[in-house]
Amino acid sequence: MITHSIQHRTALIGLMLAGFLPAIASAEENASFTLAQTIQDRIAKGEKPIIRVSYHDVSNEFAPFIKKGVEKAVADFGVDAKLVGPVGADAEKQVSEIESLIEKGVDGLAISSVSTDALAPVIQRAMARGIPVVTFNTDNPSSKRLAFVGQNLVESGRVAGKLLADTLGGKGSVIITTLDAAAQWSIDREKGAREALGKYPDIKILTTVTTGTEPQQIYGSIENAMQAHPNVDGILSLECCSTPAAGQYVQRNGLADKVKIVGFDLLPETIKLVQGNVVAATIDQGPEKQSYDAVQLLLDVLKGKKIQDVDTGAVVYTSKNIGDYVVASKEQKQ
Amino acid sequence: MTPQTLSKNASPATDLKARIGSIIAARETGVLLALLVICVFLTFATSSFLTVRNLLNVGRQISLLGIMAIGMTFVLVSREVDLSVGSTYAISGLVTGMLIVRGSALIPALSAGLLVGMVIGAMNGVLSTYGKLPSFIATLGMLSVVRGAALLITDGQPVTVDTTRGGRSEVVDQFYQLGQGQLFGIIPMLLVCFLIVAAISWLVLAKTTFGFRVYAVGGSEKAARLSGIQVFHTKILTFTLMGLLSAIAGILSLAFLPSGQAGRTGVGLELDVIAAAIVGGASLSGGEGTILGTIFGTLIIGILRNGLVLLSISPFWQTTAIGLVIICAVGIDKWTGLRRSQ
Repeated sequence: MITHSIQHRTALIGLMLAGFLPAIASAEENASFTLAQTIQDRIAKGEKPIIRVSYHDVSNEFAPFIKKGVEKAVADFGVDAKLVGPVGADAEKQVSEIESLIEKGVDGLAISSVSTDALAPVIQRAMARGIPVVTFNTDNPSSKRLAFVGQNLVESGRVAGKLLADTLGGKGSVIITTLDAAAQWSIDREKGAREALGKYPDIKILTTVTTGTEPQQIYGSIENAMQAHPNVDGILSLECCSTPAAGQYVQRNGLADKVKIVGFDLLPETIKLVQGNVVAATIDQGPEKQSYDAVQLLLDVLKGKKIQDVDTGAVVYTSKNIGDYVVASKEQKQ
Repeated sequence: MTPQTLSKNASPATDLKARIGSIIAARETGVLLALLVICVFLTFATSSFLTVRNLLNVGRQISLLGIMAIGMTFVLVSREVDLSVGSTYAISGLVTGMLIVRGSALIPALSAGLLVGMVIGAMNGVLSTYGKLPSFIATLGMLSVVRGAALLITDGQPVTVDTTRGGRSEVVDQFYQLGQGQLFGIIPMLLVCFLIVAAISWLVLAKTTFGFRVYAVGGSEKAARLSGIQVFHTKILTFTLMGLLSAIAGILSLAFLPSGQAGRTGVGLELDVIAAAIVGGASLSGGEGTILGTIFGTLIIGILRNGLVLLSISPFWQTTAIGLVIICAVGIDKWTGLRRSQ
């Protein structure tokens, strides 16, 4: 009947549009954004672009790497780029600093948000003024930022979960440790980890332990958790800092053969523990690459190019390949 | 406990009654009772609590908090407060760590860290006395100044004490022994250090002239001055002592977990330190508080944390629980205080 075929056609068109919608959306973001006239003039005159990279906590252990990425971008592209951001993850301070930068005049902003809700408005304001904004390391999906450079956190959680499951041979009991189970990055990684571990019917997740952020407290929380669950087979750490603490606990209590650990990032202690096979695997998020690529993307926008998200990936290091990382980072220092 | 003067003419029975009465009325008894209630509850609620292993763990976990809470007791008794302790703890440990990694011998490295702590303490003291600043403000400012200094000297990078980064192996081994060793093969060194610090501090606060002066200054600054006590000198000494104890804790913390980072180590510690002292009976209005009480207060916080993890209770309850404990501790003290003064 006619109505049927009209319905079919509408449905078909609807489906096609739905498929194209994400592409249309990001194209829209790119398209609906116009570079401010003042910035266009500066670029036309050949002046050095002023880029500011705002990281959510310049006092944490990743900040030196983020800074290195920015410095490398300065060396490679000849741009005026600097790392800025609050000492301690303070959303208000980050917002005020960005507002001052907007007033002072800046050609591009790369932002890793302390909190997505707190930073979204200032990102909108910057874009409305014609200043290109990309997010890096920590995304702000509710804002209309032009692109995101960083690790897909849910996917990285899946990778970690699968790594631990394989190390355990598909069975055993696991505890998950994290600095803050309520933080968005932790929720994302935990989601991925539980998805991956859930595929193994003989693996049981006993509990998620929030350790806090102070090093002594992290160690103490893991100690207490292991007291409560002495027969645990594996520990999955969702971040940089409970990884080495878990490794140290296992090592000091002679449990390295019994308890397997998978975690994140490449703190000096973690590298040592991976080399010693106490931590089975750790996942790098490439913080240097994140800030470097973010600056590069902003420069592309200033040149009039269209940009897309960059997934900096989840590089796995085990005792087999950790040596390569150590050598490479030593060479970089020279 | 305040010294009780007993009449020479009273009979031994009345003496005993009076002694027992004063023990029951003492603040520390209340805190001890609360501590025992929590312990009894945990013993029944989980089989992992009352084991030698767990208790030694908890003992070690509270040692550094305890050392600093003891320092805070002196400061609170003198009617001041020190909010910069977390930053002092961090920078002292980092200074010692950096020196060891640059090939220093152990004693110079330890001394440098302790000196840094004492200097910061002395600065807090001078700002709060001759500087005429309320100690809350002075130490709040120093909290950021010292944290910033720690970030600057380490450039935000972690400091890891081991031989691969340049530490001499005998020095590194001795440093590890200091933090990770065990007396008689079973008692953690951190706990041993805490007990030594506690014993010496109890002697100083309860039995020396200096201790008496601290109470006098906190009880009434005017009266203390009129009776010839050097109020400013006393206060500067309590702050310097606080700085020294923060440094001891910070250095031991690095000896136990050989990696520290200026942006993370000791952040927020001041709240737990003040809470431990106040739960143990010290008062923000000065003149009250004892080392024994502080030890009980520290134990309550440590055992609460331990218990919440053993019982797999949501970690967000930990923060709520500590807050409730402070409110109850101070509240109960106020209500029983009213009764005592009647």
